[in-house]
Amino acid sequence: MSFYEHTIIAKQDISTPELEKIEKKYKDIITDTAGEIIKVEKWGLLSFAKKIKTYNKGFYIHYKFKAENKTLEEIKKNSIIDNSLLRYLTVKYKKLDTETEYFGEKESNEKKK
Amino acid sequence: MKRKNNKKFNKRPQNPLNKLSLFQKSDSRFSKNCPLSGKDAPIVDYKNIKLLRRYISDTDKIMPSRITSVSQNKQRKLTSEIKKAKILGLI
Repeated sequence: MSFYEHTIIAKQDISTPELEKIEKKYKDIITDTAGEIIKVEKWGLLSFAKKIKTYNKGFYIHYKFKAENKTLEEIKKNSIIDNSLLRYLTVKYKKLDTETEYFGEKESNEKKK
Repeated sequence: MKRKNNKKFNKRPQNPLNKLSLFQKSDSRFSKNCPLSGKDAPIVDYKNIKLLRRYISDTDKIMPSRITSVSQNKQRKLTSEIKKAKILGLI
């Protein structure tokens, strides 16, 4: 068992109930294949630095979990086929730090202004 | 008299305009210590965009370590983290 981080970019024109479905879908994939979810972060709607397939913005969802090789294959299979996703990235870590959030603070600062 | 002359030559030019010739290296231009290693160094990670933006040129190229004076171990990590952030469209 080792630690992983997985981020998903969903398309901009997706409604909020569908977004929750996508979030739940990947949660279930991890838990069904004997994985452990440590944290889920919603970064919200962020704008890209460059266009990705005629889209300027996207919804970011970030998972931190502990799993084996089986779950990674399942996630990869599903995210390639999925039409509502633009991109995905998985990174392996020896230690996860769940305290620092780089994207949650930005939104709170903007609201204050 | 000789000693006085020697002292003048041994002084390092602090202002770059004080240089004796074009080919004399200016010491004040680069800081020698690596900004990313040490005790209170920031974490190099693909989510930490504020830090990664500092090591990228205007045309989204990775800056060489001879300009930024990052150590070789950290430069290798920087390049991999910057490429991850580019995949996600953050930079």
